[in-house]
Amino acid sequence: MVFNSLTFVVFFACVLGLHSLPLPWTTKKINLLIASYLFYAAWNPPFVILLWVSTVVDWYAAQGMVKARRATTRHAWMLLSVIANLGMLGYFKYGQFLLDNFSALMAALGIAYQPAHYDIVLPVGISFYTFATMSYTLDVYLRRAAPAQNLLDYALFVTFFPHLVAGPIMRPTELVPQFAQPRRASAGQLRFGLALMTLGLFNKIVLADSFLSPAAERVYDGAAIPGALDAWAGTLAFSGQIFCDFAGYSTTAIGAALCLGFAMPDNFRFPYAAVGFSDFWRRWHITLSSWLRDYLYIPLGGNRHGARRTYIALMGTMLLGGLWHGANWTFVAWGGLHGMYLALERALRARFANYRPAPLVFVLLGLLTYTLVNVAWVFFRAKTFTKAWLVLRGMFGQNATARPILSTFYLVSVAAIVGALVLTHWLMRARTLESVVARAPALAVCAVWALMAFAIIIAQGTGSAFIYFQF
Amino acid sequence: MRPVPEQPWGRILLGVLALLTLLVGGWEWYWRAYGVRPSIGNTLGLWAIQRRRIDAGEGNATVLIGASRLYFDIQLPVWERLDGRRPIQLSFEGTSPLTAVEDLAVDPKFTGRLIIGVAPDVFFSGFAYRAGAVRYVRKESPSQRIGQWLSMHFIEPYFAFDDPDYALQTVLARQPWPKRPGKAWFVSVRKLAQTEADRNSYLWSKVETDPQYREMARSIWRQDFQPSAGDPPPEEARKTEKEQIDRMGKAVAKLRARGINVLFVRMPSAGEYLAYENREFPRARTWDALLAATGAPGIHFEDYPQLQGYYLPEWSHMTRSEAERFTTALYGIIAHDFWGPGAAGSAHTPSSAR
Repeated sequence: MVFNSLTFVVFFACVLGLHSLPLPWTTKKINLLIASYLFYAAWNPPFVILLWVSTVVDWYAAQGMVKARRATTRHAWMLLSVIANLGMLGYFKYGQFLLDNFSALMAALGIAYQPAHYDIVLPVGISFYTFATMSYTLDVYLRRAAPAQNLLDYALFVTFFPHLVAGPIMRPTELVPQFAQPRRASAGQLRFGLALMTLGLFNKIVLADSFLSPAAERVYDGAAIPGALDAWAGTLAFSGQIFCDFAGYSTTAIGAALCLGFAMPDNFRFPYAAVGFSDFWRRWHITLSSWLRDYLYIPLGGNRHGARRTYIALMGTMLLGGLWHGANWTFVAWGGLHGMYLALERALRARFANYRPAPLVFVLLGLLTYTLVNVAWVFFRAKTFTKAWLVLRGMFGQNATARPILSTFYLVSVAAIVGALVLTHWLMRARTLESVVARAPALAVCAVWALMAFAIIIAQGTGSAFIYFQF
Repeated sequence: MRPVPEQPWGRILLGVLALLTLLVGGWEWYWRAYGVRPSIGNTLGLWAIQRRRIDAGEGNATVLIGASRLYFDIQLPVWERLDGRRPIQLSFEGTSPLTAVEDLAVDPKFTGRLIIGVAPDVFFSGFAYRAGAVRYVRKESPSQRIGQWLSMHFIEPYFAFDDPDYALQTVLARQPWPKRPGKAWFVSVRKLAQTEADRNSYLWSKVETDPQYREMARSIWRQDFQPSAGDPPPEEARKTEKEQIDRMGKAVAKLRARGINVLFVRMPSAGEYLAYENREFPRARTWDALLAATGAPGIHFEDYPQLQGYYLPEWSHMTRSEAERFTTALYGIIAHDFWGPGAAGSAHTPSSAR
């Protein structure tokens, strides 16, 4: 189920109620586990089997690694885990993509090959929980973490509903130890958790779905050719939409976990105030960035084998990171662009190692970063390269036959919301939400919280899925 | 553990609840003062509940599929009183019935009778404002089903503002923003109907009693009466008409092969709307061609004095009381000439007509 649904409101109330009963800790964990399976089954009950497969395979693989006396046996258990997880991901997420590309390759070689349509439904959040479970076996294999003490704690780590389908991508070392001792939220944690959930849902329902998404859809999903104003407005709208959608999900997830007494890490730190792309990736989808760094970039060599290998590792990581987002070459192009940005930044930092920008230049570099991030978003949002080039040409004023697409209302709302969003990110650049809330007058906190809740109610969200569920 | 900012969270939460109650209460009061009353949401989930009745033992029911005219102008309680059974209402506003009919055509569980509403501009253009309903039924998740149930039992019957026409962004979007040069200005259809839990719907009384609102509803229809840049070229429109008729012919053939009675009904329209339909979708090219292609019988309101002379405030839908009267008249014709004992059942123009 999605957070922005009535079903979740009732579900979460029941979970909170159960969790506050004076029951043994093991019973409470079993309750949470069952609730998490129900949370996932509410989309498509048979896909719970995939969760079980992933859980059981990785549990036994980790156990096997611990008990193995020979390095080859440990290696074999690790490979089993990786193959099982990537196999599931490949089958459900990339099967059609691989077949399409194979038939295109055959056609290029003059061989007519038309495979049957691959009518498979993508299980929600499969990319997230396969990465989470893989991190467990890889950490055990690399001796960075001890295996979980019992299957219940491990199954709950995989399935815990706040992070299950769209992260933050938790590491076993972050979450499994929290299941060891009884946990119950304090009154303050419960109330602040509810406030965070309101903030997250406000981002998703009001900003992303109600105001920004329609503008992006009109530009990206319509047949009209966009001019400069529409192309930029549509792209800026998407930049705001994807942040509010995904950061909204993460904030809601963090709030839900906090209400139950669990801590989850930040996934976003005001990324549109980033200056440079390494800074951007320290602020955007932080748990994925660190996963890719630890399990892809560093194993590919990282920066330990000279500049050439570093650039190759960087580009390889970003290309695969792009592909992780979706089975389409447009996502690979998005990852490739970010790889190029990172490589270029790295080269410039090496060339101008002692350069310290003046305050105005610093802001201008931030705006340049945001602009280039938007250029990359075009490939992320467009369903085809044809559409991406059309929007890009529009952004650079090259569509001579363009006609206005967005009405004044959409132009004003995109400018107001995205402008306020970027400004807020700059104001919050070196701060945390908690520190700002702590200093704010209680009356202001109360008014902002109530207004956000009111806006959520009167926006009447349609319960649309979060963008990252498809990844 | 994550830090929790130092604040009097207990008092803040109480303040939030009090302020929220005031704000929501004020919003509800505002829309009730405007004349809005709670109505069950006309959602895909509500449609799915009715569609599933066919698979859950009511396959022999009378099913209604059309656009908004069949939806608002057939009153299910009246029909039930006359027939003894309440029909299943599967119409959707602004949506061609074709996809839903095709879906029933391949569903062996459907063994009842089918009335297909014909609103020419929607039917023959294949326009589907609410496309995806059939697909939604197949893909509806347990979570969506539970959400639908919760909403129609605990939210929609009590809150008038819970209507897409009064959603924050919709209200803001229809404010008089300056027009952008070169951007066509098209006003979306406003709230027209009240809906009940089994999708019995009727025209909202404000359309009847508020001259300003009625005129606005008419002006929204008028937008369609003028040629616009988005219109397909005439040859493409004719091709679409033929495709719609051909596809309907195939679906009806499947239904009739299973012994299912299919009846087309051209629902009344009036004023400028009727003039537009007669101009753009002349009867001989559309309605007559449809009956000829499908071989199914049909009732055209212009052929029956009993189906004429109703009050349609915005030219397309009847008031609730008129819809009740119309339902009685239509049911009488169907029972007498088509589905009743001894009825011809397949006559295109029954003896009582004209």
